[in-house]
Parts: sequence; structure tokens; C-alpha cells
Amino acid sequence: MEIYLPIAGMSINFFLVLGIGGLVGFLSGLFGVGGGFLLTPLMMMIGIPPAVAAASDSNQIVAAASSGAFAHWRLGNVDFKMGLVILAGGIAGGTIGVQIVAVLRALGNFEFVMKVVYVLMLGLVGGAMFIESLRTIRRSQASGAELAAAPVSESGLTRLFNKLPLRMHFHRSGLHTSAIFPFSIGTIVGIMAAILGVGGGFIMVPAMIYIIGMPTIAAIGTDLFQIVLTSANVTLQQACVNKTVDLLLALILLGGSTIGAQFGAVAGKRLKGEQIRILLAIIVLALTVKLFLDLVITPADLVSLAPAKGGGH
Amino acid sequence: MQRVLILCLSLLWGALGAAEALAVSPAVQPKVVTAASKHIIEIGLSYRGDEIHFFGVNPMPGADLVIRLTAAKEEDVKLSVKGRVGPFWMTVKQYEVAGAPFIYKIHASKPLDQIISRETAQELELGYVAVRQKMKLHLIRGTAAPDDEEKIFKGLIKIKEEANLYNIVEDPKRLEISEGKLFKHYFRFPPAATEGRYQVETFAFVKGELVGYGKDFIEIKKVGLENWLTQTSQNQPVFFGILAVVIAVGAGLLVGVIFGKGGHH
Repeated sequence: MEIYLPIAGMSINFFLVLGIGGLVGFLSGLFGVGGGFLLTPLMMMIGIPPAVAAASDSNQIVAAASSGAFAHWRLGNVDFKMGLVILAGGIAGGTIGVQIVAVLRALGNFEFVMKVVYVLMLGLVGGAMFIESLRTIRRSQASGAELAAAPVSESGLTRLFNKLPLRMHFHRSGLHTSAIFPFSIGTIVGIMAAILGVGGGFIMVPAMIYIIGMPTIAAIGTDLFQIVLTSANVTLQQACVNKTVDLLLALILLGGSTIGAQFGAVAGKRLKGEQIRILLAIIVLALTVKLFLDLVITPADLVSLAPAKGGGH
Repeated sequence: MQRVLILCLSLLWGALGAAEALAVSPAVQPKVVTAASKHIIEIGLSYRGDEIHFFGVNPMPGADLVIRLTAAKEEDVKLSVKGRVGPFWMTVKQYEVAGAPFIYKIHASKPLDQIISRETAQELELGYVAVRQKMKLHLIRGTAAPDDEEKIFKGLIKIKEEANLYNIVEDPKRLEISEGKLFKHYFRFPPAATEGRYQVETFAFVKGELVGYGKDFIEIKKVGLENWLTQTSQNQPVFFGILAVVIAVGAGLLVGVIFGKGGHH
């Protein structure tokens, strides 16, 4: 069954898109991470123009994150004050990011920059995750007794950021720290959200826990809260500046990922934490290699159509 | 002196007139009567391209036929050329190409070079060589190289052929002429053929001379939801953006209600 995507300007198999949404939803349900960083490259592989893929993913993330954010809000896991500080950075970053996308598209190198950033980011995250989970598995094999989980100690970075000016009290997280770091990380992730079409949870959550020092559950809830609004901003800006949001594509992806996530969550309960993480690390690294090869192997077509100004098709 | 000038002018005038008479002008030829299976193609949700069948009467029994599909308006396209920068392949220059047809399909009852001379093909813009003559390249970014024109032309043809927007079929089976009189064929409009007006022109030749010409118009338009989404996203981008966000939040909350706890992001 073919479906015509109005903004991508192409006809594509409905079940292929639904299936990719489902696969990413399954993985995000299994691993408890956002699927944006997997979804955009997969969309590109089936022929969706990169700019449309990133913008429509942002739209899909708004939907996927809002259900999670609402659930966490009801459980009282959202630190609104922290969320708003990060969000301020996220809005600024997202707005800058969309302009960067516009400039890169005009230069004809959006796809190149996007892939370079993906390779760096996925390589780093995938590599770190792989090493960390491999160590955990080795250690648990060596002796189960030593596994007394070391409490997260205050890192040097946490203490450094504590000393910066603009200190604020964050009631829900029980913190008294500078607003500069949350704002900066919000800006960086906002720029990435626009260029890559990701929510950025895989960077934001570890940063909140290990660097800012927030409790894990509050970090997840607050992250979801700010993702909804950062991605909403990116979606709106992409619609206005680049006109690349394909609502139909976003809705099919949402449908697939919703169903997939339910199965993923069930499957996740049957696997151990480190097994899940090493699996995710392998997937991420495989994707990194694929994208890296795209950059260095002589392309089949040296000449390609540059997008017309303003239009996504 | 004056008489010489008048003589020169009249000679020049005569020469121009003769050139005009020699030129092949499709408009003054006997009309080729054709009928199309439809004149409007609608892009709906399940659109995957369409086919239009054409039937017609050959103006001179036994004449060779060449049928051309083009878009009513030409488009300027921007092409990126990739080059090596260190270990990476990235866009190093860009060309703006004017005069390249958006769509260009030709059906001929036998190979074009057996039907018409190179000059006639040039004049009537039939065949890739003629398309190439019409294209104008303009470098926007990067440094030009001597083989760029060749590279750009080949690249463009490849992109267009892959999208099924360009092709040339010289096959009597594809353009059937029964007993030299009635002809029938079809054009396939790929999904990449966007909204707009298209024209199908029929040229009839006897021994390389144009003896008949006909023209049909086809319109492609988006309808229903496809039309609404495209129009809104292009003409009211702010409203479209807000709508996309509101629908996404609504859908997300709905999912949360249905499945109890959404949780993933």
C-alpha cells in the first residue's frame, strides 16, 4: 500500500514507514531511550530527503515525549524550575539550529554536516556505552559479591559548576547550583535537535545526573518536559523557515513507534540491564560505521539536486 | 548610393524570408487529432503515479511519429557537485541550470536519427542533444573545471531518468501505428511529477519533413488532504507549524491515555 507524502513529495510504502516507526519504538521501549537518533538516519536510508526526515522527526518526538512527560508530571517527577532554565537554552539553541540548517541547505552541505555530527555523536555514545557495559558484564562474571553499587559521588565538575555565578535553588531536585550549565547544555542540545532531528535525552539525562547532580527520576521527568517544548519549538521553526515538516510522515511514525514501544517494554523486562545496553551499543556503533562509510566511499552519483529555496520538495 | 542601400536591404529581407520559409514551424502544420484517456491527474493519499493513454489519427498514412511530453513551464534547478575534501566526499561546487525541462519523455515509432535530420531535431528540440543545447549553466559556488558541463549534463539526465522524469523510447511496440493510420501509446507520469500543466505534442514526419502536429494538455493537481497540507505548509507556515505541534501533543496524550503510561520518548 503506497502513500503519498505531501512535503517529502514522494510515494512510499505505508507499512515500510510504519515498520521503521515500530522498530525504533520497540528499541526505545526496550532501552528506555528516545529513538530520534535512530529514526532520522533510517528515514534517510529509505529515501526521505534529510531535511524533511529531521524536521518530521522533531514533530514525531513532540508526540512521543508528551505522553511520557504527562505521566511524569502527574507523579511529580518534573523539576519545573530546572526544566525552564534548560528550556530557555533549548529554545535559543533550536532557533539557532534551524537557521544553521537553512544556511547549510543553501550551501548544499546539510547532509554532509548532519552525517559528520551523527558519526561523532553516535561513535562517542556507542563506544562509551559498549565499554561500560562490557566492564559491567566482566565484573559480574568475576564475582557477584563485589557488585555493591558505588553511590554516585559528587564529581569534580559538579563542584566546579556549583561555584559559578547565577546560583539558584532548585526545590524538586534539592539542589542549590548555578543556572549557567543547565542553560548551556540546553542550548547545545537544542542546536542538535534541529540539525539531527533528535530529542537529545541520551546526552541530557546523563548530564543532569552526573554533572548537575539531579536525582535520576527527576532528571528523566524534567528531560521529557523540556523535550516536548524544545521539539515543539524546532518543529514550529522548521515549518516556518525550511517548510520541511511532513505531518503525515510524523503521524505514521508515531503510530508505529507507539505500538513498537509497548512490545519493547515487555521484552525489556526479560533482559538484564547490561545486556540491553551492550545490544544498544552494538546497534549504535553499526549505524555509526554505516554513516561513516557514506562519507568516505566514492558516491555513485557525484551530481545531485540541491533543494529549491524554501521548499522541502 | 541610396539605390545600393535599398538593394542591400531588399536582398537581406529576401534572405530572411527564405530562412523563415525553410524553418519547420509546427503551428502551421495540419493538425494531428488525438484523444487522451483523461486530462487531469489527481494526487490523493494513495497516489503512486499514473498512466494516460493517447489515441490519434496519423495525418498522412505511413508517416513516422514522434511524441514528446514536457511540462508547460521550465524550471531552474540547482545542482551540487561532490568532490573529495581530505578523506570525505562533500559538495564542492554548485551550478544553476536554466532551460532544462522538468520532465522530458519521447516516444518515437523508430530511432529518431532515422526519422529526422540533426538540424530538424535541434530546431524542434527533439532528443537529448537538443535538450543539452538549450541548457545554460551558471556557476554559483566553487571553481569551474573544463569537464563540468559534460558532468552536469550526464548527472542531470541520470537523476531525471532514475525518477522516471526523462526517457526516450524508440520502439514501434511502444508507439503502435495500426495500418499506418491509427496510433496509440501511453505516458507514465511518475510520483515525482509534481503539480502543474504538462503538454503532449505529436509530430508527424514524412521523409524527414514535418507534415502534422498536435498538442494535448494534461494537468496534475493535488486534491483533498494532500492539497490542503501542501498549500497550508507553503502559504501559512506559522499556522501549519502550530497545527503540527498541537496535533502531535494531542496524539501523544491520547496514546498516554490508551496505553496507561507512555513513558518512552
